[in-house]
Amino acid sequence: MPVPNHHLVTTPPSFESPPYPADIFAGQTVLVTGGGTGMGLAMARAFAQGGAQVAVMGRSLVKAQEGAAKIAALGVKVHAISCDVRLPDQVAAAFDEAEAMLGPVTLLANNAGANFPVLAEDISVNAWNAVTRIAIDGTFLCSTEFARRLIARGVGGAIINNSAQYIWTGFPGDAHSAAAKTAQATMTKAMAREWAPFGIRVNAIAAGFFPHETSTAGRREGTTEVLQNMIPAGRTGSIHEFGWLSVMTCSPLFAGLTGQVILQDGGESLRRSLMMPDYVPPRERVEGPWGWR
Amino acid sequence: MGWLAGRTARLVGESPAIGAALKAQGATFVTEGNCDVLVHVAASPPIKPVHELGHAEWRAALDHGLDQRFLLARDFAAERRAASQGGAVIFVGAPEQALGSDQAAAAGALSNLTKTLGVEWARDGIRINAVLTFEQGSTLGNLVAYLASDYAAYVTGAVMGVGLNDG
Repeated sequence: MPVPNHHLVTTPPSFESPPYPADIFAGQTVLVTGGGTGMGLAMARAFAQGGAQVAVMGRSLVKAQEGAAKIAALGVKVHAISCDVRLPDQVAAAFDEAEAMLGPVTLLANNAGANFPVLAEDISVNAWNAVTRIAIDGTFLCSTEFARRLIARGVGGAIINNSAQYIWTGFPGDAHSAAAKTAQATMTKAMAREWAPFGIRVNAIAAGFFPHETSTAGRREGTTEVLQNMIPAGRTGSIHEFGWLSVMTCSPLFAGLTGQVILQDGGESLRRSLMMPDYVPPRERVEGPWGWR
Repeated sequence: MGWLAGRTARLVGESPAIGAALKAQGATFVTEGNCDVLVHVAASPPIKPVHELGHAEWRAALDHGLDQRFLLARDFAAERRAASQGGAVIFVGAPEQALGSDQAAAAGALSNLTKTLGVEWARDGIRINAVLTFEQGSTLGNLVAYLASDYAAYVTGAVMGVGLNDG
């Protein structure tokens, strides 16, 4: 159903008006994992709006290169790198390549992730490993590689992790991602504590639904439209407002911010009513609008 | 940058950093009446062992840290609705577990009130967020100014700190 006309729906400023000056990250390099598409691309573009040079990392070099071209259009130097964040040697090599091409990496966005709705009993070992290890091991490997380099140089930096709004409630029908995204949020706080003495800040966004070309709901005709009225804010998120908040946490504007997991979901995860739709087990909504098969 | 250009803000309580950041982002201050943004800063109650707190002291901490905040937000929201305008409320105070049991009760209640009102008033275009922290400096100011602005249009019902000691 569409949002009734008498409801007030607030929207962010347009992409052309970022909340920070165009030189706030001048001379700095950010590495964005999974930066070629979707939410990673939104983060990368937001960093570029602040003048950062961008290393775009992706398992698919083609996708990373396509994303890099879109980021370069904003007028910053970019470099695309192929890397599987689950493999320590590839992560180290990717940082070497990024620093050789663009200079020292002082900003890191851990965004790489895989996610798809599936019944828990249908999750194969491969699928479980893929979803959990890209987020959990990938965030560990990229963050520690990043921190070791900064600590060795004696300079500070900032990390932003792309977590999710379902980390406090669970997410029936998405067990692998529910586990993986919560690990990212809890390690955010622990790493922030460990690296505070070295001037490395670590924060996360517990992100709601920001539709983009590769998001799951985008697969079905009209699905995103249906979602608008389901969310308290009256709309799904605009992907550039997610990119901006991610980048703000790394900026000097929020220089004291660390160990925080900031919810940005339009109230979606907080919905709770005396009157709710009947509970339907995920198994029994196989053919629904977000069916599994 | 002007995140709050053309917006009116009411700052209740003491915070030079928040005042400076709201002003730097273009907000105009008002002391009463309908306005776009309400920021309520609660001073921390003194730390005393809970078994040495009299009921009057306990009540004062809860009145200051919770009741007055709810009543102010309720009146703010009523004015915004009457004007068919959205708005933003930001509650600012000390972390929940950092002081005495009176603060733990007040801040815990405030956190879940923030989450509740964030959803209850979402379709009025009114966002409610809370920053519970020891930070007094420019990061707090900038964070509150951000939450007050349309840049945070998709942030509501969020409770956050600033630094490591805010958990």
